[in-house]
Amino acid sequence: MTEYFLGIDIGAVGSKAVIVNNTDIVASAVIPSGTNYVSTTAALKAETLGKAGLQASDIKGSSATGIGGRNAGADSYHGVIICSARGVSLNFPAARSIIDIGGQGSQVITIDEEGSVINFTASEICATGSARLLQVLARILQISMDQIGPLSLTATRPSNFSTSCSVFLETEVITRISQGDRPEDILAGIHRSIAEKVAAMARGFTLEKEVVIIGGGALDIGLVQAIEEKLAIKAIVPDNPRLMAALGAAVLARQSYSTV
Amino acid sequence: MNDLTSGPFFAGIDIGSTMSKAVIVDAQGSMRAYVVGQTGAEHRLRANKVMEDVLQKAGITLDKVAYIISTGYGRVNVPFADKQVTELTCHARGVASLFPGVRTAIDIGGQDAKVLRIKDGKLIDFLTNDKCAAGTGRFLEVAADTLGLDLNEMGRISLQTDKPVRINSLCTIFAQQEIISRLSEGQPLPDILAGVYIAIATRVVKLARQLKVEPPVVFTGGVAKNAGMVKAIETVLGTPVLVPQEPLITGALGAAILAHDQYNRLIKSGEYDAHREKKLSEARIDFGENGR
Repeated sequence: MTEYFLGIDIGAVGSKAVIVNNTDIVASAVIPSGTNYVSTTAALKAETLGKAGLQASDIKGSSATGIGGRNAGADSYHGVIICSARGVSLNFPAARSIIDIGGQGSQVITIDEEGSVINFTASEICATGSARLLQVLARILQISMDQIGPLSLTATRPSNFSTSCSVFLETEVITRISQGDRPEDILAGIHRSIAEKVAAMARGFTLEKEVVIIGGGALDIGLVQAIEEKLAIKAIVPDNPRLMAALGAAVLARQSYSTV
Repeated sequence: MNDLTSGPFFAGIDIGSTMSKAVIVDAQGSMRAYVVGQTGAEHRLRANKVMEDVLQKAGITLDKVAYIISTGYGRVNVPFADKQVTELTCHARGVASLFPGVRTAIDIGGQDAKVLRIKDGKLIDFLTNDKCAAGTGRFLEVAADTLGLDLNEMGRISLQTDKPVRINSLCTIFAQQEIISRLSEGQPLPDILAGVYIAIATRVVKLARQLKVEPPVVFTGGVAKNAGMVKAIETVLGTPVLVPQEPLITGALGAAILAHDQYNRLIKSGEYDAHREKKLSEARIDFGENGR
């Protein structure tokens, strides 16, 4: 009989859930985290179970991670670094380095062939090192988040910014617009600012191949290319880069069950 | 020469990121007048305006001003200045003239924060933050905008409580979100505001502790006008701070005093007249470019 396990990742911006069986991903969902993590978790579970065609009672074990994961009522809680490492390793056994651009900050993680964490560094909570800056930018430029990446790739002269603080950048972007900088050049300039921040964090790390970029920021092709360029690497981006930690949590739930 | 009302006078102009300030001192180094105005986008026009205003306030004409020093972020855009001096030097000098025994000065401006160690009226060490809005006046502006409050009002309201809410986010962008969440949780406004001040104070004191904080501590800059902020700095620092009556003008005051020093030096060496002539011819060209 098939057994099902649930992984939940309540992040700063988005909440994700993954249901796995003994071998594969069965269903997944992503919803905004909102301010009430208890109701967010309930909605997230309902959506994921619905997609899988399962009942809550079909779930044999669950595990949660992320900033709000302790309120998710799962059987166990794991740190997001461990979960991300596990999720990435499952998808890409050759992965040795992970760059996670999340909604509130970023992380650089190195892992071994088992998917265990060797070393990691996490940024302080800073909008510039996160996908949050992109949201701010989308609002100013009146475009949607998924337009940012493709548009930035058409840049011919990326704007230069004198600051790396998102608050000051917001003002500077408006100044640049008034000076006639094109939206694509502004976007490419901002991607460079974020890439600088990530590179500063990765200093002291040897990023061995394969490097996998995950988190909401990985959905932005322009940002991924800026990071690749800055770090002189070629990176892999999973099909659904936001789900890696939730997947890792589901796998950890499955593992703890099988070792009981 | 001994009649102080006939000059010479000395001026300091501080073009900051948000505010522009001008101070006139007399031959004894006493302040005769000061003005404070918004900087705006046109630094040069602003510099002319604060200079005109401060002359009017002092009741003197430009020809009575023997030496002018400009300072601050926009100091290069003061064409009529005789010399430019960094704000740190001017600031230390201004603070020490008001509080002769000062050892530490904390200055929080519109988009930066500085900590200065001063000994015998001289700057001996400093640290600045202009990289991150947290710990600067900008953080307060964002909080005020978010809450729809005026900056002074915000300070007053925050003083009503001794139970500041904890704001965990150092980043201004995330703190803004956190303020909204705390409001929606039903936390009282004074507690949230007091929490905002503690958050900024924590950031600045962390910077200060990288140097050695020795009393007496003087707190200046536009943000020092805010009573809530003064209380928060004292709470986090664990020591009382001195705040000048007009905390915005210490840089301009220091510049004016340095202008006086420089004038005396040039007079002594006999170079003053030649300097003045050269400066006047340059200034004429510069004003010409501005169509004035």
